[in-house]
Amino acid sequence: MVAAGFLPAGSSFMMFGALVFAVALAASPQPETPKESPAAAASAVEAHKPAVQEGHAAGGAEGHEGAEEGHGSPKEILMHHVTDEAEFHPFGLPFVFPGKHLFFLLFVMAVVIVTARIAIASYKDGAPRGIGSVVETFVVYVRDEIAEKSIGHGEGAKFTPLLLSFFFFILFAALIGLFPFSSTSTGNLSVTLALAFISFVAQQYAGISKYGVVGHFKNLVPHGLPAPLLVVMIPIEVLGMFTKPFALMIRLFANMLAGHMMITALLMLVALCYPISAALGIIMIPISIGMALFIMCLEVLVAFIQAYVFTLFSALFIGMYAHPSH
Amino acid sequence: MENPVGLAYLGAGLGSGLAIIGGGLGIGKLAASAMEGIARQPSAAGEVRGAMIVAAGLIEGATLFALVIMILLVLK
Repeated sequence: MVAAGFLPAGSSFMMFGALVFAVALAASPQPETPKESPAAAASAVEAHKPAVQEGHAAGGAEGHEGAEEGHGSPKEILMHHVTDEAEFHPFGLPFVFPGKHLFFLLFVMAVVIVTARIAIASYKDGAPRGIGSVVETFVVYVRDEIAEKSIGHGEGAKFTPLLLSFFFFILFAALIGLFPFSSTSTGNLSVTLALAFISFVAQQYAGISKYGVVGHFKNLVPHGLPAPLLVVMIPIEVLGMFTKPFALMIRLFANMLAGHMMITALLMLVALCYPISAALGIIMIPISIGMALFIMCLEVLVAFIQAYVFTLFSALFIGMYAHPSH
Repeated sequence: MENPVGLAYLGAGLGSGLAIIGGGLGIGKLAASAMEGIARQPSAAGEVRGAMIVAAGLIEGATLFALVIMILLVLK
């Protein structure tokens, strides 16, 4: 199982991180009088800020300290965890990369290409060995169950390489993002925008290559509709052309972002509860680790589901333009 | 208004709850029907499951739109 390999690394890291977090919090001085903040909710959060900042600096589980002011409030930690950075030092290396998402985007690309090459090279006497047999299962599934069924026999094979690229990139990006000190590049709106744009171009290509430019746009609305209905149907269909990839973009982005936000927020429960009462903070440690671990397991599942859903919806939309309703 | 930030937090909290209620009801109803369909026709389990995931993806997409708006409301 793929999942089994990831879980020990993730859970031991989180347990260690939460313990360091709790120890650092216990050692840190109690927060002074809370600042007067306009909102009630904001002031409650502000009150715990110094303690959280101490814990963050000492634990260092989430990465290096940012230069900007106010780094260390729960919101800052949460945003630091899921957003891109201007300067990123992967694994504590002295080199500066443009951003962690760009770094992991290129890294995942390399992993996908290397995996595909290993899989191709592993064929001996027409049968794959090792990783090749695992990759083959997915390839055959995407070709037979997604491409051929959604786009049609024969035509599906033409789009299978593209769909496989989507599938393996999204799957590997999500799974590699679960490792400690890594980040999910598909949790960045720009990355999913690029993926959705490629899907959009493929959808239009499917229609235009088959029916020509004029025929493709005529096919957007069913033939033989009465003229008054066309006034409504044409804007809806043109809008639908863009909302389909837009929905793909938001779905992948929100799914990847939500899981990581959940894990961070659950781990921060300890830090948020400790200033209220020390006992509450200590009681919270197993609860928060348990819940974060559960979300972590769920994320492994979500990685596969989202890779499948993105590929399936791309194939469905390509098929929709390749076989318009008449 | 004296403190609009607090209202934004309140709006985001209530809004995300409402969005989740809608999405949960939708996917729950969908899963119930799919289970019933599979129970009546176990041989079609694979096809029913595939169709269920497609519909669940669409419902989930609509819910996530709402949740992204809530996140923006809190963090901006």
